[in-house]
Amino acid sequence: MNTASIAVLAVIGILFTLAVRRVLKKGAPCECGGSRKVCSCKGGSCTGRCSCCH
Amino acid sequence: MSNIKIALAGNPNSGKTTLFNDLTGSDQYVGNWPGVTVEKKDGLLKGDKNVVVQDLPGIYSLSPYSLEEKVSRRFLVEENPDAILNIVDGTNIERNLYLSTQLAELGLPMVMAVNMMDVVKKNGDKIDFEKIAKALRCEVVGISALKGEGGIEAAKKAVEMAKRSVVERGPGKLPDVPHVFSGTVEHAIAHIEESIQGKVPERSIRWYAIKIFERDREIIKKLEIGVGEMKHIEEHIRDCEKELDDDAESIITNQRYEFIQGLMSKALTKSEIRKNKATLSDRIDRIVTNRILALPIFILSLCVMWWLAVADGGPGTILTDWANDGFLGDGWHLPFTTHEVDGKDYETASEEFAKAEATVKAWEAGEKKASVEDEETGEISEEWDIDEAAYNAAKEVEEPDPSQFGVWVPGIGALIGAALEKMGVSETVASLVNDGAWGGVATVLGFVPVIFVVFLFLAFLEDCGYMARVAFIMDRLFRKFGLSGKSFIPMIVGKGCGVPAVMAARTIENERDHRMTVILATFIPCGAKTVIIAMFAALFFREMWYVAPLMDVIGIAIIVMGGIALKKSKAFAGEAAPFVMELPAYHMPTITGIWRHTWIRLKGYILKAGLIIFPACVLLWFIMNFDFHFNLVGEDGIDKSMLATMGGWIAWLLAPLGFGTWQGAAASVSAEIAKEQATATLGLVAANMDGASTAAHVTNLFASFVPACVPDASKGSVAKLIAMSFMVFNLFIPPCMVAIAVTFREMGSKAWGWLAVGFQLFVGYTLAMSIYQLGMLAMGCGFGVWTAIAIIVDLFCLWAVFRPGRRAEG
Repeated sequence: MNTASIAVLAVIGILFTLAVRRVLKKGAPCECGGSRKVCSCKGGSCTGRCSCCH
Repeated sequence: MSNIKIALAGNPNSGKTTLFNDLTGSDQYVGNWPGVTVEKKDGLLKGDKNVVVQDLPGIYSLSPYSLEEKVSRRFLVEENPDAILNIVDGTNIERNLYLSTQLAELGLPMVMAVNMMDVVKKNGDKIDFEKIAKALRCEVVGISALKGEGGIEAAKKAVEMAKRSVVERGPGKLPDVPHVFSGTVEHAIAHIEESIQGKVPERSIRWYAIKIFERDREIIKKLEIGVGEMKHIEEHIRDCEKELDDDAESIITNQRYEFIQGLMSKALTKSEIRKNKATLSDRIDRIVTNRILALPIFILSLCVMWWLAVADGGPGTILTDWANDGFLGDGWHLPFTTHEVDGKDYETASEEFAKAEATVKAWEAGEKKASVEDEETGEISEEWDIDEAAYNAAKEVEEPDPSQFGVWVPGIGALIGAALEKMGVSETVASLVNDGAWGGVATVLGFVPVIFVVFLFLAFLEDCGYMARVAFIMDRLFRKFGLSGKSFIPMIVGKGCGVPAVMAARTIENERDHRMTVILATFIPCGAKTVIIAMFAALFFREMWYVAPLMDVIGIAIIVMGGIALKKSKAFAGEAAPFVMELPAYHMPTITGIWRHTWIRLKGYILKAGLIIFPACVLLWFIMNFDFHFNLVGEDGIDKSMLATMGGWIAWLLAPLGFGTWQGAAASVSAEIAKEQATATLGLVAANMDGASTAAHVTNLFASFVPACVPDASKGSVAKLIAMSFMVFNLFIPPCMVAIAVTFREMGSKAWGWLAVGFQLFVGYTLAMSIYQLGMLAMGCGFGVWTAIAIIVDLFCLWAVFRPGRRAEG
C-alpha cells in the first residue's frame, strides 16, 4: 500500500472517529432540530441537557 | 443581578415557542396545534446573557389536570421565576385572559404580551392595553411574534419589572394582585389566607388561598393543613357554596369569566363590519372541514405534495436528477452557457457515444445486436442490429468533452474520483471512498431535493393553519372507531420524525390511549422513510407517482385499523378521550417561517448523512469486502464476505417476502440505524451488479431476486412486486433504533416496549408478505405454503378489526 493510500485511509479513519464520537456524545441529529440524545427527565424537570425539541 | 429567569406562559398555540425562538435565537420546533411543547425549554435572551427565558407548555389554566398544566404550574409555583411573560392571543383575547387572571394571582411581576396584533389591526379590532393593565395589575404590550415585532421590548420590560420588584418589594409588602371575585368569595379567600399565613411564600398567598377554596387536593396535601383548620376553612367554603348555589370550583370559574367579560366590554372594540360577517377562515373551513369534502381534500393535498416531490418531470425529480448526476456525480453545465458542437448538443453527443460504445462491445463479443440501458431504471431502452460497417463507424466516434459544450462544473463525485486517481491510491482504498464512504453519503444526499420539497410543502400546510384542521378532520374519522383526534397530533409531528412523534403522545392523559398512540404514531412515514419512498418511486414506479402518496394513505389506514383492533383488546379498551383544540385563523405564512421549519428538518437530515450514514457505510464497506479471516474478498468473492454471511443468517426469514437474500437482509437490518440507510446499503451491496449507475445496479439487484420459475414475460412485474414488498416492509416495521429506544421509555416497561415493537414488526411483515404472496398468486406464479399462510394471517387481521368490541373495564 502506497503513502497516498495510507493518507486517504487516515483521513477516513479520523472522519469516522469524529462522527462516531459526536453521535455517542450528543446523540444522533434529528429532523426535529435538536439531537436525539434521550434525556432522563420526565414531566417537566428537564435539565436542559436534552437538546431534542420534544 | 444575575440570571434573571423569565417564564413564557400562555394558552396553547398562542405563539410562545415562536416568541421563544425570536428572543433566544434558538430553533425549537413550532407547530400550530396544542401539545408541541411538552417540556420546559431554556434559552438565553439575545443581547443579555444574564437573562434565561423559559418556554413552558401551553395551558388553559393552572389546574393540575393535564401533563402540560402540571409542568407549567410546578415550575411557576415552585421554581419562582423572576417574572412572567404572559403571551396572549390578541385574536382570542377573551378566552386567553382566563389564564392571565390566574397568573396575576401568583404575585410575580408580569408583562402581558398581546400577540398577533398585526391580525387584530387587520381585522379592524381595537384593544385598550391600559384598561387591561389596570385591571390585572400588570404591564401590557402589543407584539407580533411571527413578524418578530415587539417581542424583545416585552422581554426587556419583564426584566425591568423583575429588577424593580427586588428593589421595591421588601419583607411584609404584598404584591398588588387583581381581585376578580364577588364579596362573599373574597371574604372566604381572606379567611383562608389568614389560615395559611407562614406556610406559603407571602407573594403567592392569594393564589394558594384560591386553590384551597377550589379544594385543589395537591395543594391541600402539600400544605399539610391540619384537620381542625381544614374544617374551619371548609365551613367558609360551604357557606359560600350555599349562598351562590354552586360548587366552589364552578364559582371561581364563573366569576373569572364574569370579570373578563366586564373587562372586555370596556377594553375591546370589535370591528362593526366583522361582527356580522363570517371571516375568511370560516368560509375556507366550510369547504376544507366539510363532512364530505374534508378527507378527499386532505388526500388531494398529499397527492399534490408527492407529485411535486417524486413525479416524473416534477420539480423534485428534476432537482434530484441534477443532484445525483450533476452536483454529486459527474458534473453539470452552467445554465445559459451551453451551445451545440457540430450541430449536436451534449446530450445527443453522449447518447451517440454510448450507442457507439455498445456497438463496439457487442461486435467484439461476437453478437449481432447491441443495446443500451436506461441509466435510471436499468431496463433496455434501445436495441439495434449491427454489422461490420456499423462496428467500424462506431470505433471512430469519440467521447464528447463536456467542456466544449458550455461551462462545465465538475461534480463532487468526479472531483473525488479524479483526486484519488491523481494521488495514485490503491484500488481497494479508492473503492472504500467511492463505493463505501462517499457512495453511501451521496446516495442519501441525492434525495435532499425530494426531502426539501416534502418538508417545504408540509411547512406551508402547517404554517397556513391547514394541518390543525387535519387533526380536527381526523378526530371526526377516528372517533367513529373509538379513537381520539388527540392521537393524530403525534402522527402529524411524525411526518417529520418518529422520535418527537412518540414523545408528543405524552399529552394524552389516558394511559391506554397514550400507549396505543405510541405504538401507532410511527406508521406515518417519517422524513427518513421519505427517502426510501423516493428511491423506489424513482427506480420502479416512475410512471406511477401515486405510489408515493399511497404509502401515506396506507400508514393512516394501518393506524385506523390497528387502532380499532387494539381498542377491541382488553389492554386498550375504553372510551376515546375528549379532544379540544382551537383552529387557528388561516393566514399567509411568512417566507422566513416556512424556511425555518423546512431548514430545521433538512439540517437534521443532512447532518445525519455525515454523522450516521458515513460511518455506517464505511463499516458496511469493510464487512462487505472482507471475510471473517480478514482476507479481502474482491468483487467476485462478495458472497463470502462477512456481510453476506451475516445477512444469510437472517435472509431465510425474509424469503416469504420475496427478498430473502443477504443483500435484502443487510439493507433491512442496517435501516434500523437510520431508515435512509436502506437506500445507501442497497447502493453498496448492488455495486457488483450490471449497469452504468447506482440506479441501474439496484434495479438489476431486484431483478436478480425474481425466482427462476417466473416466466420471462412476468419477470419485470415480479421485480416491481418485490421492490414494493421491500419498500412496504421497511416503511412499516419498527422505526429506527433511536425511535425504538424512545418507544420503550414512553411505554413505561420492557414488556410494553416489546409489545409495541412486536406489533410493528407483525404489521410490516404481514403487509409485505401479503403484497408479495398475493401479488404472485394474482400474476399466476403459483400457490404455495406461504400463500396459504399469508391468506390465513390476513383473515386473522380482518377478524381482529371487525370482531365485536369489548366494553371498557374500570
